[in-house]
Amino acid sequence: MTTVPARGGLPGARRAGGPRPRPHHTPAMRQESRFGWMMFALSGLAILVFTALPIVFTLLLSFFTWDVITPPQFVGFQNFQKLASDTAVIHSFGVTGLLAVLIVILQIVIGLTMALLVQQRKSTWARSIFRTAFFLPLLVSAASISIVFSYLFDTNFGVVNYYLQLIGIAPVDWMNSPAGATATIVIVAVWQKLGFVFILFVAALGSLPQDVLEAVSLDGSGPIRTFFSIKLPLISPTIFFAAVIGMIDAMQIFDQPYVMTKGGPGDSTTTTVMLIYRTAFQNIDFGYGSAISVVLFLLLLLLTWMQFTVSRKWVFYS
Amino acid sequence: MILTITTNEVHMSSLLSTTTSRRNLLLGGASLLGAAGLAACAPASGGSGGSGSKTLNVLFFGTQQKADETAKVAEPFIKANPGVTVKFTGINGTDWNDFFTKVLTQIAGGNPPDIVSVATEGVQLFAQKKLAHPLDEYVKRDKDQLASYFKDVHPSLVEAMMYKGNLYELPTDFNAGNMYFNTKVLKSSGLELPKPDWTMDEFKTLATAMKKGSPDAVPFDWVVRLWGSWTSFMYANGGNLLTEGKYSGGDWLWNDMYKGVTGAEGRGGGWQWGAPTANSDAVVESLDFVHELIAGGLSAKPDVGGGSTLQGLFSNDKIGMSIGGGFWAGGLHNAGMKPDAFDVQFFPKWKVQRHLFGTGGYGIFESSKNKDLAWEFLKSLVEPKSIEVLTAGNSTTPARRSMVTEERYAPTGPKNWKVFYDTLDKLPNSAPIPAPPYYNAMATALNQRTTEAMSSGNVKQALDGLQKDLETAAASTGS
Repeated sequence: MTTVPARGGLPGARRAGGPRPRPHHTPAMRQESRFGWMMFALSGLAILVFTALPIVFTLLLSFFTWDVITPPQFVGFQNFQKLASDTAVIHSFGVTGLLAVLIVILQIVIGLTMALLVQQRKSTWARSIFRTAFFLPLLVSAASISIVFSYLFDTNFGVVNYYLQLIGIAPVDWMNSPAGATATIVIVAVWQKLGFVFILFVAALGSLPQDVLEAVSLDGSGPIRTFFSIKLPLISPTIFFAAVIGMIDAMQIFDQPYVMTKGGPGDSTTTTVMLIYRTAFQNIDFGYGSAISVVLFLLLLLLTWMQFTVSRKWVFYS
Repeated sequence: MILTITTNEVHMSSLLSTTTSRRNLLLGGASLLGAAGLAACAPASGGSGGSGSKTLNVLFFGTQQKADETAKVAEPFIKANPGVTVKFTGINGTDWNDFFTKVLTQIAGGNPPDIVSVATEGVQLFAQKKLAHPLDEYVKRDKDQLASYFKDVHPSLVEAMMYKGNLYELPTDFNAGNMYFNTKVLKSSGLELPKPDWTMDEFKTLATAMKKGSPDAVPFDWVVRLWGSWTSFMYANGGNLLTEGKYSGGDWLWNDMYKGVTGAEGRGGGWQWGAPTANSDAVVESLDFVHELIAGGLSAKPDVGGGSTLQGLFSNDKIGMSIGGGFWAGGLHNAGMKPDAFDVQFFPKWKVQRHLFGTGGYGIFESSKNKDLAWEFLKSLVEPKSIEVLTAGNSTTPARRSMVTEERYAPTGPKNWKVFYDTLDKLPNSAPIPAPPYYNAMATALNQRTTEAMSSGNVKQALDGLQKDLETAAASTGS
């Protein structure tokens, strides 16, 4: 083996107790290094100020009571003890969980179905139009969409009930009944976020190995068999990714119920983030609001860990 | 501050050097954070903080565009006080609850204003939290200047701005929950505007006739909220969500400014909202009545919120009747309704013909460094010319009786505009909406339990829940 001596000493040699060799830097390297450190400092500062500090502050605040106006008072674990027996909080976790499960399942099923249908289109322009059309809702704010949908789903004067009546279906109590309100929120949330999942699946299906697909086709496998036995296992990492991201996003649902139902009727659509908002900003109890936030964070962490654990049994990486 | 910048520069240069050690990196990062922290704590330029500048910061409930329009109200004051500027900042929100949330967030952010527009909904909250400064001494000092103002303003509006004997605001406008009628729906049903002393039975008869005569319209619609909702029925039925009482005090005001004035007798130091009574017989009966209206097809299922959708539907002849205040005149006019396309009458009599109202004004922040100047501005705001700007386009009802005139309502309607101030003058039992210091929690609970009652049909159970919610909220604030 041939070794090339490096400047300033033998290759790889670090003499015990000796000075550390200083690497030589050219002006270009120095400039690059400066730029690198500057970028690191800026992004590091942004993460510290806008992410890390609020997280630490929220965690600390959960051990205090604070009404903004008077100084915070340390209460230890009192907020968490109160939370454990607070039926409103427990109910909100139930509501959020139900909405999240429905939203994630529907997003994945509909998104995948649509991606499969679009994949059937051979012309590139048709695919582009579909991709753009399905992705557009994601670019509009959830609040604006919710306002428009609340008009569409209005029980008395909404367009949806108008057309239902035209085909002989009785008007549905969309936002004035617990089931109707839940369904409306799920419809709006799924409709808006569908584009993201759809694009993921289009990309995943487009990158499937053609030789494998051709081989199974030659073996006489039909489209259904090919989908369930070949395509689905091959895109399982994408499904897993969509499920994890979707669940984290859906567990923080706020805009749609806040704008469309205000959490009602009763508290049937009051989600955990809505409750955090009400507690902290409307009832001016930032300590308790922070405690609920911390529990939601831990719950999300647990759910994600569980998804990763279970994924070992069904996600196929190749 | 200069020293801080220099120090930061030193660390920045360390950061940029190629031989940066981890220690230097941490020092640099800490300095940057320190600078960011200092920048966050520093008062905004042009503020009225410790700099001694003569800028009055006013927080206004509305869009920034509306705030800019309203800022015209300060022009005479600025002209009369050279070197003084008044900055109006609009805070938009769906309702007062939303507005307060944002104001409190701004305070939490270390940027309290000098003056804030606060309606009945928030007077006691601001006073109890010691955010607002009592105006008593100022009013006593300038009572001669204010004599014509108080003579022109109904005492019930002034009393609604008091808390524990102190006055916190001078009312500029108000809105009482009257009944609006869509003239087209009335006519197509062969009906006329009811008489002022109409009853709840007549209301139901009229709604039934509307249902038959105008099948395309819903006879009555309303919004889930505290003001002008099913709560109007509750007031007319002699009920309330909280036990009514009055704080002692305020004699200095009543004896000085309202001596011998009709309607001033029995006034105290502000409304004292006591123990919750949300599941009392009168309250349950009221919500039950409204629920039956819906079940019978006489009322639409209500939305939760500010009421803009309701105005839209009313202006499109989809609704025959709804509860509105003077602000509806401007709202319906802006929605394209002609002055004779709608009219207004008192809310019907049930056990009593009692109306609820809310009043608005401006208060001085306790933390303001310019209280004296703020007071001068507040005085200028209750001048007729200022109230003219604040109530432009009949976006609300002037608190000054002399300004509620035929001329004012000629461009917008309604024909029966006298009802607005007569609600206070002729029906002296009219009272403000219940707005204790825990108003935010109360409003949220009311919305939640009302929608629960409407969807489940079990009014009593929902109001039992509301009673518990209010008891919890009251206990948490020590009320």
